[in-house]
Amino acid sequence: MPGFATTEEINKYIGGIFEKALDDTDIGPRLMATGMTLRMNFSDPEAVITVDFPGQSILTGEDAIVDADAILSMSADTANGYWQGKVSLPLAMAKGKLTIGGSAAELLKLAPLAKDLHPVYISMLEENDRHDLIIA
Amino acid sequence: MTATKRDYDTVDISDPAFWEKTPDERERVFSVLRRERPVSWQRPISSPLMGEVNENEAGYWAVVRNEDIVTVSRRTDVFSSARGVTFEDMPSEVLEMASSILTMDAPRHTKVRKLISSTFTPKRISLIEDQIYRQAHEIVRGIAHLGDVEFVSAVSARLPMWTISEMIGIPEEKREEVREAANLMISWDDDEVSDALDPATAMLNGISTLHGVCQDVIDARRASPENDLLTALVQAEVDGASLTDDEIRSFFTLLCVAGNDTTKQTTTHTLRALTEYPDQRRYLAEDFDGRIDTAVLEFVRWASPVMTFGRTALKRFELAGRTIEPGDRVVMFYASGNQDETAFDSPERFDLSRDNRNHVAFGGRGPHYCLGSHLAKTQLKAIFSELLTQLPDIRAEGEPEYLASTFINGIKKQRCVFTAQE
Repeated sequence: MPGFATTEEINKYIGGIFEKALDDTDIGPRLMATGMTLRMNFSDPEAVITVDFPGQSILTGEDAIVDADAILSMSADTANGYWQGKVSLPLAMAKGKLTIGGSAAELLKLAPLAKDLHPVYISMLEENDRHDLIIA
Repeated sequence: MTATKRDYDTVDISDPAFWEKTPDERERVFSVLRRERPVSWQRPISSPLMGEVNENEAGYWAVVRNEDIVTVSRRTDVFSSARGVTFEDMPSEVLEMASSILTMDAPRHTKVRKLISSTFTPKRISLIEDQIYRQAHEIVRGIAHLGDVEFVSAVSARLPMWTISEMIGIPEEKREEVREAANLMISWDDDEVSDALDPATAMLNGISTLHGVCQDVIDARRASPENDLLTALVQAEVDGASLTDDEIRSFFTLLCVAGNDTTKQTTTHTLRALTEYPDQRRYLAEDFDGRIDTAVLEFVRWASPVMTFGRTALKRFELAGRTIEPGDRVVMFYASGNQDETAFDSPERFDLSRDNRNHVAFGGRGPHYCLGSHLAKTQLKAIFSELLTQLPDIRAEGEPEYLASTFINGIKKQRCVFTAQE
C-alpha cells in the first residue's frame, strides 16, 4: 500500500482533510456539534494530530499530545487507506491495525461524517499531484 | 423531519423501568394501548449506546395492534428500514457493519437479499437440516446424565450458534470467540453481560471480532472453495451482481445476532411454557410428528423473541386514525401484536393447536419477513423432539433471570430438572 514518507506529509494531508472538513459548510457545523476532541497517533512514520472540533483547531507534534475524548492509533498507511474508503473500521480493529481509546460512542458519531470526506481527500491528493498515494 | 409538536401519551412505554418489568407485566400495559390508543405518540427513549436522549429528537409512534404491525411491515413504500430498525438509535456506521439486509430499502435490499437467498438452495437446506438434527441429538445426549442443569447455557444457546458456525464454516478454534462476540452484540446494555465496558465499546468490540473471523474465512474460501455457505456467498452471482466482502461480513454479523439469539430465547421460553401448561405438553407428546409443525408456530408466538423493530416514514400516512408525518419514527411492538385479542382467541393461553397464521414473531410479512424462519422452525422442532424423547420429564424449575433489553425478550438463566439417564 502506498504510504507517507515523512511526519510533515501526514500533517499536511491528514491534518489537511480535517481543515477542509471544518471549512465545509455542511460537514463543518456537524463536526463542531459533536463537541469532541479527537487525537490520532500515527506510526511509520510517527506523527500526532489532535483536532478540537468545537474549537476548530488542528494541533500537530508536541502540541497535539493532549487528552482527548477519543484516541485512534494506526499506521500512516492505514490512515491513508481509511480516508480513501479502503479500510473497514471493524476489520482494521480486528486485525490490530487500528486501536481505539476513549469513547467508542464518540467515534461512531464521527464515522459517517468521515465517509462524506473520502472524495474530498482523494481530490486533495490529486490536486497536490500525489497520485502515488492513491489506492486503486 | 417533522415539525409537529404533539403531546406524549399518558401511558409511557419509554421509561427504562417499563422494560425492566416481566413480559406479563408489560403485556398488561400493551393491552390498554391496544384497546384505547393503538397508535400512540411516545417520548424518545434514551439509548445507553449513544448516551443521553438528544434534546432535538422527536418521539415515536408506538404500533401495538397485530393488523397495524402488518400494515407497517408491508408498506415498505411508506415505512423505510434504511435509517435503522432498532428501537434504540444506532449510529449509521453500526447499521452498515452489522445489520446487512435488515436496514436496507429496495432496490439495494432486493438485490442483496436475492443474492443471499440464492445460496440457500434446497440441497444446502437439506444438508443444514440433517446437521441440525444431529447437533440437537448430541446436545441433549450430553446433558442426559446430569438431571439438573442451567438450561440456557447447556441447551438453548448451543444449537443456534453451532448451526451458524457449521453452516458458515467457522474453524473450531474460533467458535468460542465468535460466540462471545455474538453475545456482546445483543447484550451491550446488560451490565452483567457486557462486563462493565461502555456499551458502544462492547458493541464495537463484538462487531470487530466477528468481522475479523469472517474475513479470514472469506479469504480462505476464495483461495480454496469448500462446501459451505460462505463459499456460496463468495461465489453468489445474480443478474451479474455479486456480494462484496463488506456485505458478506455485515450479513455474517447479522446472522450471529438474528439467527442466534432469537432461537435461543424461543427455546427457553418454550421450555417454561411446556412446564406451565402440562396439558399442552401431553397433547404434543401424544403425536409429536403430527403436531409439531403447528405447535412450533405457537412456540414463536409465545416467545416473541424480537420485541421491537422500527421504521421511518417516508410520506404522510394514516394509521388507526393518527396521521404519521414524513420523518416520523414508528416502532412495532411484536410481543403486543402476538397477544392481540382481535387476532387470536384467548391469546394469553399457550395453545399448541392454535391457528397461528396471524402471528408476527417473524415480522409482519412483506420483504423483510425473517429470512431464517424455516431454519428457526427446524431448530425448534429438532431440539424439542430430542428433549421430549430423551428427557420426557424435563421441566423448568424456579424463576428465570431476565435480560435487560428493549429489543430481545431474553432469559439469561433458567434452571431445569429431569430424571437423569444412566
